[in-house]
Amino acid sequence: MIYLAWLIPVVPFVSFLCLLWMRKAARSLASWFAVAASAITFGLTLAVFFASFQQGTFTQEWSWLTIGSIDITFGVLLNPLNSLMLLLVSFISFLIHVYSMGYMKGDSRISVYYGYLGLFTSAMLGLVLSPNLLQFYMFWELVGLGSFLLIGFYFYKNSAKQAAKKAFIMTRIGDVGLLIGLILLFWQTNSLRFTDIYTSITAGQVEAGMVTLIAILIFIGAIGKSGQFPLHTWLPDAMEGPTPVSALIHAATMVAAGVYLVAVMYPLYMASAIALTVVACVGAFTAIYAATIGLVQNDIKQVLAYSTISQLGYMMLAMGVLGYTAGVFHLFTHAFFKALLFLAAGSVIHALHTQNIKEMGGLNKKLKVTSFSFLVGALAISGFPLLSGFFSKEEILAAVWADGQYVLFFVALGAAFLTSLYMFRLYFLVFRGEPKKSLDHIQEAPIGMKATMVVLAIFALGIGYVNTPWFGTFLGDWLTEGASFLTGGHHSSPVWIMLAATIVSLGGIALAYYIYEGKKVDQGNWKQSFSGTYRMLSRNYYIDEFYELTFVKGTRGLGMAFHYIEMYVVSGMMDMIQGFFFSIGKTGSKTQNGQTQTYGAVAFLGLVLFMAFYIWKGGY
Amino acid sequence: MDGEALAFMLLSALAILGGILMLNLRKVVHMVLAVVLTFLSLAGLYVTLSAEFVAVVQILIYSGAISIMMIFGIMLTKHNSKERRTKTPVRTGLVGIGVIVFFITVYYAIENLFYPTEATNLHVENTEQIGILIFSHYVIPFELVSVVLLVALVGAIILAKNKEADE
Amino acid sequence: MPMQPYLIVALILFCIGLFGALTKRNTIIVLICIELMLNAVNLNLIAFSKYGANANISGQVFSLFTITVAAAEVAVGMAILIALYRNKRNVNIDKMNTLKD
Repeated sequence: MIYLAWLIPVVPFVSFLCLLWMRKAARSLASWFAVAASAITFGLTLAVFFASFQQGTFTQEWSWLTIGSIDITFGVLLNPLNSLMLLLVSFISFLIHVYSMGYMKGDSRISVYYGYLGLFTSAMLGLVLSPNLLQFYMFWELVGLGSFLLIGFYFYKNSAKQAAKKAFIMTRIGDVGLLIGLILLFWQTNSLRFTDIYTSITAGQVEAGMVTLIAILIFIGAIGKSGQFPLHTWLPDAMEGPTPVSALIHAATMVAAGVYLVAVMYPLYMASAIALTVVACVGAFTAIYAATIGLVQNDIKQVLAYSTISQLGYMMLAMGVLGYTAGVFHLFTHAFFKALLFLAAGSVIHALHTQNIKEMGGLNKKLKVTSFSFLVGALAISGFPLLSGFFSKEEILAAVWADGQYVLFFVALGAAFLTSLYMFRLYFLVFRGEPKKSLDHIQEAPIGMKATMVVLAIFALGIGYVNTPWFGTFLGDWLTEGASFLTGGHHSSPVWIMLAATIVSLGGIALAYYIYEGKKVDQGNWKQSFSGTYRMLSRNYYIDEFYELTFVKGTRGLGMAFHYIEMYVVSGMMDMIQGFFFSIGKTGSKTQNGQTQTYGAVAFLGLVLFMAFYIWKGGY
Repeated sequence: MDGEALAFMLLSALAILGGILMLNLRKVVHMVLAVVLTFLSLAGLYVTLSAEFVAVVQILIYSGAISIMMIFGIMLTKHNSKERRTKTPVRTGLVGIGVIVFFITVYYAIENLFYPTEATNLHVENTEQIGILIFSHYVIPFELVSVVLLVALVGAIILAKNKEADE
Repeated sequence: MPMQPYLIVALILFCIGLFGALTKRNTIIVLICIELMLNAVNLNLIAFSKYGANANISGQVFSLFTITVAAAEVAVGMAILIALYRNKRNVNIDKMNTLKD
């Protein structure tokens, strides 16, 4: 069964091709077809996962290019991390497919939508299965393409077009870093295969400065894809896409690719303390920074988007403090509860046709399943005790503490507090309180959407138990098994960290309740007294404006300068060259003037020339 | 200087004069008349070369038919048109030089050409000799020439026919 | 009486005809110049028929053929000229440059 692993990305790709090919004819069947394809993918993944669980690491490679002594291959690689990601991606993708049947019902371009979903899933699965960096990079770009297409799905909306462009360009900036890192790595180790790279790095064949440089360059790629601090602005804008897409791309899979990249290249980071520190600092800063912005957003999806950025920052922080298991574990649990939150938000949007939380309220009476699912998701992400987020977050905090990064520890703790605060602000504003508008016509989502939400809710409740300090660290053991370069799965954490995490989480929830449900604080007053801060937060720290002023305007100015150089210097030269040949051509074409007499004269002169030459040489 | 040489000098001078006049006159009708002078002088030269029949044909065809046709052509188009000064002095100059070089080279070729023999009986029964030769040895070319003339006749009529007037 | 003077006269006439054919702008004159060149050739033929290496009356027969063909050529040339004039209202050869296109 494990030999069929290569089929996993092929199935959704075939679905993509079929749907694109017959997009008009198959509109009614498109969703069923795509769901069937993703179900097959999921089934295959499950089978391969269990096979890999029993057999351990599995590699299958075909030679692709041979350059001198270097063999570039493509194929599949299955190790614990890969199979975990594989399972995650295909499962969430399957659920999203099912959910989309309800959400996208009646859309005229539904087959195109499912086609893009197939392409995206295929790219992500291929990325996860890659045994070498080159194949990884190709699928990485394909993932970028898929997200571009899906974000710009409502391309007739200008904002969606802009957002798609922005996402593509911002991630491209990161990709350049990744590409340079990849080339440097190839130069240094003569191979792009992960296993060879691990061997070279751990054997110390690459000098330390170079390792740091490569690690940071690759991390730039991860920053772009995972929406970390300097390149994060595309992610909130990417909420222009359909909500299930947001759930799939911006919660569970694509943004996780950045974290996955760091996890895959982990030996590289292990070898460089500076790179690890950079990763940790960027992660921690992003976590708290995005959380503060999330506090004041009024668009339900924007809040979730900033929450995603913040949680990804958490994962990066975990990676940066040698908490490999913690990071991957949080990636795993986060995928479930964030997808759940997005799907619940999608259900709200589906019912209300608005995304502004100021127009919502009291929805728990009407949307019972949605409300319950959202509550579970919010509790899980806040780290409420015994839910999945609690374990992974606690693991991260323990890892940070164990690494001795005390400043970062308190930053992370603050971010956790803010997380539960804004999540419950969202919950109370949307589902509790008095309805802002009449709710009579509001209906709960169709069964398919409800079912997926319930399934995800169950996972969000229970998935944390694969790796707990009490019942055993199965996940951590399994991930680190056979990977000698990794440190132990679980950091023996003091009990007070767990307590602190719990208190922080509950404190955030309580504060949110106090402010938004209990109405103990006059919000208008609060907004006014901190108007500067509020505006700064709601404008995303003016980062977009900053980029607009510096990069966009700067680039435009540079472009103008080059434009003038182009216009006067380059095209002046070109005009001269062109004029030269033009005049030659003009002279030549003058002889072709259609005058038979001229032609005759030329022919005659030629004859005369030959005759004169003949006589001169002593002819006759 | 015997009479033959005198006749040759006079006739050839007239022929060349006609050619030069043709090049230098302005009015097209005058040019044609100058060429008629050349044609007539050439007929005289043919007589000095014992080709009486050809001389008569020359007068009939060239001085008569062809010149008249030229004049008709001029009348049918722009009958009082003048030849203007050329607008392409470079080409004219080049062609002039080329013609001079051509003249020199060909002159160089013919200046020492000499055959001792001379046909003496050409003027005896000249027309009869030509007739016998045409209708015996050259009968096939003769018939072909008649076909050429017929084709030229038909072609000229078709080309010159006014199609608009027909319709 | 040697042969060269006749040949030289023929050469001069030929050169005049050639020069005129390549430089004159009126198409009728160009045709006439071509006739002049043919006449020069005729003179050559007849001169050779009297003084040539194998002096013979055939030269005169040849010149008769040449005259016939020249007449046919003039007839066709005139017809073309008139057809062109009908289309272009002009007989100048430098206006007939459709070969350019």
